[in-house]
Amino acid sequence: MSVFTIEAFLAILGLVLLMLEAFAPDISRRTIAAVSIAGAALALVLFLTVVSSDTASLPGFLRPWMALDSLAMFYKGLALVITLIVLWLTHECAPYVSKYTVDGRVTELFSIPLIVCSGMMWMAAAQDLVTVFVALELVTVSFYVLVAFARKSSLALEAGVKYLILGALSTGVLIFGIAWTYGATGSLSYEGISKALALSSTAKAPALLGAAFLLAGLCFKVAAAPFQSWVPDVYQGAPIPVTTFLSVGSKAAGFVVLTRVVDAFLVEGSIIGSEVKALLLILGALTVLLGSLPAMFQQSVKRLLGYSSISHAGYLVLALACHDSIRSELSSGGIVAFYLGTYLPMTVLAFLVLAILRVNGGGEDIRDFRGLGKRSPLLALAMTIALASLAGLPLTAGFMGKLFVFISLADQAYWGALVCAAIGAAAGFYYYFRAIVAIHSSDSGLASQPLTVNTASKAGAIVLSVAIIVLGVYPKPLQKILVKDAPVAVKAH
Amino acid sequence: MITLNHYLVVSGILFALGLAGVIARRNILIIYMCLEMMLSAGNLALVGFSRFRVTDGLPDYTAQALVFFTITVAAAEVAVGLAIIVALFRTKQSVEVEAVTKLQG
Repeated sequence: MSVFTIEAFLAILGLVLLMLEAFAPDISRRTIAAVSIAGAALALVLFLTVVSSDTASLPGFLRPWMALDSLAMFYKGLALVITLIVLWLTHECAPYVSKYTVDGRVTELFSIPLIVCSGMMWMAAAQDLVTVFVALELVTVSFYVLVAFARKSSLALEAGVKYLILGALSTGVLIFGIAWTYGATGSLSYEGISKALALSSTAKAPALLGAAFLLAGLCFKVAAAPFQSWVPDVYQGAPIPVTTFLSVGSKAAGFVVLTRVVDAFLVEGSIIGSEVKALLLILGALTVLLGSLPAMFQQSVKRLLGYSSISHAGYLVLALACHDSIRSELSSGGIVAFYLGTYLPMTVLAFLVLAILRVNGGGEDIRDFRGLGKRSPLLALAMTIALASLAGLPLTAGFMGKLFVFISLADQAYWGALVCAAIGAAAGFYYYFRAIVAIHSSDSGLASQPLTVNTASKAGAIVLSVAIIVLGVYPKPLQKILVKDAPVAVKAH
Repeated sequence: MITLNHYLVVSGILFALGLAGVIARRNILIIYMCLEMMLSAGNLALVGFSRFRVTDGLPDYTAQALVFFTITVAAAEVAVGLAIIVALFRTKQSVEVEAVTKLQG
């Protein structure tokens, strides 16, 4: 069966739900939520059957522009999983989000993520900068709507405006980068670009200019420097499900493109190889520091998670800079994919706990977490696991990914970047554990009544916590998926 | 005789003007216009490169195809962007950047 059918199904379902919302206002929120969650679940099941029976195919007209290597399949699966989780989280958060929307409507929050999901799936497979650009803008423009959706809250509106301006700026930079890359290499496909860059007759300066602008434009999507300043503001202002979607979905989709672009730029014998590597190292180290250091002084947990998201993006950019790491069995693209795979459960868990507190009328500051251990031991334990894993404590999912990054940096002897990454990780232990200490402090803080947590949220928190621990103790299954794809990913260019 | 370099210089000037406007102006609508100018700079460079890469007497049309996509995407972006800016004006009665300075720290 064609994977394209699944993506088209999601996009069409999203459009149909959007139209229903506009022209049949009598349909209740519950119906639309149920249809969209069922649709996403159906898409995930179809996708898993296609993957497990190894019958994934592409219609002929798409062959020149897309490829189904296993890197693409991994990111497509990740996009489907996070969309399903976000839709469920939206359903859980609907009572509090609807307070800030016009007429209390939240139905678009169920249809637009489906369209975003198909965009992210197309991005994962794209082999051509035209396809990348269109899929990327499908995701970005939809996110403008999602971020500004709760527009009766002035913070959400402000976050929407900031995201819009920086997003449009990065689009301009990206298209300028694409233009110069095309001008230097004469091609818009990854294959053509890497072929041209391996020739010594290709002009170096225009290629370098194009590469720098292209990478900078993509850095907006993955929340890395120089376009990282929107992250804390948007994370704080946007509704929690949207923030979750941004921090996992949008970042993962950005990184699959970045992985492929860097693969093309750093092809064997590339004339701009060493410069691109240096640029990535500088951007990565800068991102880690710009994320970790301000995070130490944050009072809002959402802002804290925003800065932490920046520093995680920094580690991943550093991993991409170590392109031809020899010792590790994973390629640099594989390390990034593994890191993002482990990043999903911990980020979602942290936002889930935040959402439950919010639905119970709590705030989003660290002091609102005081005494959580007494109010709900389960949530306190879940949040502790999530934060410890984000910090990279051994035996949690976050540890292995960070370890891979540090090993590849040491392998390539990028000592300066390694020092920056180490400073970032050390700062990380400080700010995550500051929140953990608050959770377990005996002083009950502002609110002390026990929390009401519904069964679905409880089950979700338990599943995610178990996933973090299992991936931390036994990461082999996830690694296996990616090691298998390493040769395919190399073959792709 | 107009060469590729002429187009590239104009495109570079447009891009720099747009970027300067985004950084220097305080009115969000004008910032948004400057952003559109940066997109046009990219488009002009794409068309220029495409027109001057001639094989068998015909230009290479791949990049010109991308320009059509860019124009379409920019239109969608403007539709959503202006809606957000209108919503901002309705709430704050202002579209100056000072209206969006609450999120900090």
